[in-house]
Amino acid sequence: MFNEKKVTLVYKSNMENKNPLSPHLQIYKWQISSLLSITHRIVGVINFFSIILICIWTVFIIFGQNNYQIIYNIFNSTFGKFLIISLCWTFSFHILNELRHLIWDAGYGFDLKVAKITGIVALAGSFVLTILFYLLGRNFF
Amino acid sequence: MHVSTKKWLFTKISSLILIPLMIWFLINFVSIYDKEYNKILEFFSKQPSKILFSVFIVIAFFFSALTISEIFEDYLHDEKIKNVANKVLYLFAIIIPLLTILGIYNLNI
Repeated sequence: MFNEKKVTLVYKSNMENKNPLSPHLQIYKWQISSLLSITHRIVGVINFFSIILICIWTVFIIFGQNNYQIIYNIFNSTFGKFLIISLCWTFSFHILNELRHLIWDAGYGFDLKVAKITGIVALAGSFVLTILFYLLGRNFF
Repeated sequence: MHVSTKKWLFTKISSLILIPLMIWFLINFVSIYDKEYNKILEFFSKQPSKILFSVFIVIAFFFSALTISEIFEDYLHDEKIKNVANKVLYLFAIIIPLLTILGIYNLNI
């Protein structure tokens, strides 16, 4: 059973003794599960800032045509296109890895082999999905 | 129900709602990002894009606030700094979507 007082005591003792805290990124050997776990967090933070940027984009629209021209020029530059494609990848990766997490939450996919396969599928699939979303958005189909 | 269980449940429910909204937004965003001002204005002024975008923004900030506060929990060990960081995060997660939605609902073609 979860004992909050005991956990706090152990945590405090760890801090006082300067014991290393998990996750030990510099110690563990990289594997697909740890790679996706840390990437999921980093991508989540990037997506948070991306959504803030999307809100700023809408603010430029709200403030009229002259202001919109600034963001229009950025998005139509090479850097802008790189930003859009990067956004497609970060969203795609987050969608697929979040689905993986939801499947785990439902109690499936814990087997080591299955976890590795779903990890590879999420990573490779994110690139496929990026291309698919971009082409769908550009009315390629 | 324990507060952490509630937080976990809210994170999972919001992520489930967010997935189709992310797909919808991404496809539409890619199709309009290089369009003229009037086309963009039309997108944000008409339904269902107006309501879908509003829901997307609210859920995205709600989900982000919950998950980023978990990152603070893991990496910030000073309770005071953690509290301030969480308060700033929640404040941002309320103000930014609120202002964006208010702006969109005041848009006129």
